[in-house]
Order: sequence, then C-alpha cells, then structure tokens
Amino acid sequence: MANAIEVENLTKYYGRPGAGVLAVDHISFEVRQGEVFGFLGPNGAGKTTTQRMLTTLLEPTEGRIVINGHDLARDAYPVKRQTGLVPEESNVYTELTAWDNLMFTAWLYRVPRAQRTARARKLLQDFGLWEKRDVKAENFSKGMRRRLSIAMAIIHRPPLLFLDEPTPGLDPQSSHAIRDLIRQLNAEGTTIFLSTHQIEEANQLCDRVAIINHGRIAAIDTPEHLKQAFRRVQSVEVALEPDGAAHGDALAALLGVATAVKMGDKWRLYTEDPSALLPLVMDYARSHDLRVTSLNTLGPSLEDVFLEITGQPVGTVRHEVQEGGSRQRGMKGQMGGQR
Amino acid sequence: MRAGWIGRLQDELAQAWIVMVKDMKVHYLRPGVIMFGFLMPFFMFFSFSVRREMAAAQGVARLLALTTFFTAGAMGPFIIPVERRVGTYDRLLAAPMSLLTLLLAKTAVGAVFAIAVSVFALLVGVVAFGATIAQPWLLAAVAILSSFSFSALGLIFGSIPTRNPGDVQMPSTLLRWVLLFISGVFIPLAEMAPSARALAYLSPLTYAQDLMNHAVLDTGYLNPWLDLAVLLASGILFLLPSILMHRRGRVLGY
Repeated sequence: MANAIEVENLTKYYGRPGAGVLAVDHISFEVRQGEVFGFLGPNGAGKTTTQRMLTTLLEPTEGRIVINGHDLARDAYPVKRQTGLVPEESNVYTELTAWDNLMFTAWLYRVPRAQRTARARKLLQDFGLWEKRDVKAENFSKGMRRRLSIAMAIIHRPPLLFLDEPTPGLDPQSSHAIRDLIRQLNAEGTTIFLSTHQIEEANQLCDRVAIINHGRIAAIDTPEHLKQAFRRVQSVEVALEPDGAAHGDALAALLGVATAVKMGDKWRLYTEDPSALLPLVMDYARSHDLRVTSLNTLGPSLEDVFLEITGQPVGTVRHEVQEGGSRQRGMKGQMGGQR
Repeated sequence: MRAGWIGRLQDELAQAWIVMVKDMKVHYLRPGVIMFGFLMPFFMFFSFSVRREMAAAQGVARLLALTTFFTAGAMGPFIIPVERRVGTYDRLLAAPMSLLTLLLAKTAVGAVFAIAVSVFALLVGVVAFGATIAQPWLLAAVAILSSFSFSALGLIFGSIPTRNPGDVQMPSTLLRWVLLFISGVFIPLAEMAPSARALAYLSPLTYAQDLMNHAVLDTGYLNPWLDLAVLLASGILFLLPSILMHRRGRVLGY
C-alpha cells in the first residue's frame, strides 16, 4: 500500500538549534493510504508541533516530509489542495453563519461553483446543522462549532485529513458523533492523521498508533500489538469484603505484584504473571476471613501501555485524567499501596 | 482548481477576492476598527484645522490625505493578530494560495475601507462645504493608490509574529504619528525650512498630500508623476517586510 505521509528525521527547535527548546526530536514514520493513524502523547509531547509541520504551518528545523509523493519543502501547493485540517481549537468564523463559513471555505479551495451549494447542504444535513445554517457560529455550542470546523475541513473532499484533539471538552453525545464521522470518512477512503491524548479514542479509531513522548516516537504499531508487547502490565482485579479498602498495603506486598491501585471498591494488582497471583490472592482472603466479591484477570490496556512508555506510574495518571481533581487528591493517601 | 499558470492566476485572484469579502463581513464593524479607522482621521483633521482659515477645497484635500493614511493603515495591525489569536489565520495560511495573494487580500481590505471612508469625507466636503475638485480622475487615482500603499504599511505591523493586537497597535500608531508630523499635511512643503522639507520627503504621506493638492486644488509642490511613482513604489516595498515577517512567523510557530 502506498504511503500518504513519509516523515524522515523531522526535528523542530523553538529558538536556536542546540540552544532553544527541542519540541520534536528526529522522528521518522509513515502513514499508509486509507488508514487512521493515531498520534498519541501527553500534553507537550510534540503532537501539535508535528502536525503543524505536516500542514505547512510551521517550518521544520531539520528533516523531510513527503505527502502523497510531494516533498513539502519544495512543492507545498498540491499538498495544500489535497489536505484538510481540523486544529485543536475550532477555528470557525464566529461572525459568519454556518452556511457562510462553508461557502467561504469552498470558495477558498476552489470547489466548482456547481458543487459548492450541494456539498454545503449535504454536509450541514449530515452534521446535524442544517436547521442552524443561517445562525451565526458565535451562538453555537462547542460541539456544533467542532462539527462545523470538520465540515469546513472536508468540503473540498481532501484525501488526507489532519485532526488535532477532535473531542476533548465535548459532551459524550458530541464526542460519539464525531468519532462516527471519523469512521465514516475513513470508510469512504480518507486517510486520517489523528493527534490525541485520549487513549481510548485512539484504541477505538486507529489502525496504527505512534506514541510520542518528549518529542521522540517511543513506539509505533497497531493498538493490539502494542498491548501484547507489554505483558508486564497485566493485572488482577479483586474486590474484598468487609473493608476491602484497608488491605492495599498487604495486597501490594504479595509475591509478583508490581503495583496496587485502588479502583473504586476494587484493587487492581499489576503483575507479569496473573495466573501465579490468583491463588495468592485467594489464600490471603481466606486467611483474613474476607469474602471475594469479584476477581478478574485483565490484559494490558492501551492506556497501561501508554503509561509504561511515557514513564508514568501505572494507575496514577488514569485518575488524574479521568476522574478529576478530587479523586487525584484522594489518590495521595492510596499511593502507599504501591511499592 | 484550474490547470496551468493562467488558471492558477485566476484561482489566486478569486481567493484574494473571497478573503477580502470575508474580512469585510467579519472585521469592518469591530469597535477597534471604527475607532482607529473611521473616527481617528476626522479627530485629527478637526484637531489641527478648526479655527484656522482654510478654503473648503484645501480642507477636503487635507481630510482625504488623513483619511487614506489612518483608515487604510488601521486594518492590518488589527485583523491579523486577532485572526492569529482565534486560530482562523491558520485556515488561510494552510489554504492552497500563495502568501503574496493572502497579503494582497489583506491589503485590499484596508484599502477598500479607506476608499469608502474617503468617499464619505469627499461627499461631506462637496455637499456641505461646497468644495470643488479640479481633477476628479486624478483624485480617484490618488485615493486608490495611497489607500493601497498605506494599507500595506499597516500590514507590516500586522505581520509581526504575535497573537495580541495590543502588541502591534502601539508601535503602529507611534510610527504613523511620526510620519504624520514630519509630512507636509499641516505645514505646506513650500513653507517648510529646507531641513524640515528633507525630513518630510521621508514620509509617504507627504507625496499623498501633494498629489491630493494637485487633484483637488490643481496646485502642488512636487511633480505629480513623482508623487505617483513614490506611492506606487512604497506600496510594493511595504509588502516585502510583511513577507519576511510571515516567513519568520512560520519558523517561530505563529
């Protein structure tokens, strides 16, 4: 399969090379035609910088980018015609109506006059904005602006679409709708380059994922292969009664447990060998007169893989990201369960 | 998209047109644009002209020079940093059009605004004060040329890599005031000391005012062809720093 994107040794310094901030550090990767390629990393890892270089908005310090056979440094014009960009902030013109936003973009990308109206109508209908076509975008919700900005990015039917963090801050319904849109666009043949820090989003949508951290690519593979490569982050999840929360330190001390993390009323015990740990957990429960209300073995999630690769303790970031500040404070007391 | 360089040129012209029309819809009624672009020239005119004996035509020539100078130059320093801040400028930079096309479109936004305000000022002068215009076609030419030239001057400040309009409004206003006070708008060139006149030649506003005098009063200090040539050349030259700063902005990440 031909490559939609080829990146060689791409580097970006903000400031003087060697003295400035190194945002992207000699990364190389390919994106195949027709795939959804996830670019996954924590905030500040270099995702947006890389995407801005791929979309001609930022000049690389070093390296080569080839998109659909065109070297971006020498021949950016055809690349610009063949790509669509949805940046992290929905950059719609809030002073214009949804219809005017789409017509402006269609004009800008020289969509033939006969097709402009039909495409705008279809997109607004597909994206659930037809009834609001004459409303200025300043009156739109965040989700509606997001959908409008995606519609603006695809009105010229680009074969390659860049999406930067398409769903953060949206309600679950809008997020779900946008993920469906991404799947639909991909099914219609659009190659998608998806920058995200949302691991589950990458897991659900991407054919392959590159994990970037501190400006370097730490791993590239399919989500399933990445999970298999990190067997050490398998776990046993156990709920004990009565007073299961009090047994974290003891469970963490069992042979083979790397980390114990409290997950609601359960403890998740990270281990390389769940089968060896299971009888130890049962023995512990029996010896302390505890009832095992649930016991599961879990394979590594993409989130666990991501945390391992980015060098963050498994279990901690999960709470910070998904469960908010109060939970994060609560974790401090529970971290004693880790060893 | 059309094939060949003629097709590309047609595309670029169409893109410049649509960017200009979009900017008119989005930016013309912003308070900052009205303040600096519409009210400022009238404020300056009345500040330095009230209670001075002056023929209506002479007042019109001065007001038109001030209008093109302040109104045309007000747009660039305002709209580009605002668009950078809200992210819409990326949409334009990522679009399949040349940087020059984008800059010409932005220049046209300020120029058209200045021409419209100049027409308003001219109508006030002719209808309310009975001013007469000696060479209407020359007046149209100088209004268009100086509006484009001064808009390109304002664009230099808009091209400074920043997302905050406040960062560029101050230096932009400062430079325009300096160019205003060394020019021949308030003191005619013929009445200036030689050293002051030499300084006045550094300001493009001097040539716009002189050409306005030729068009409205049928008299001027310099050769009108020299005025036209300087305004045309300065308009082109003013685009160069903008191009360089946009390239710099692409390195810095703006």
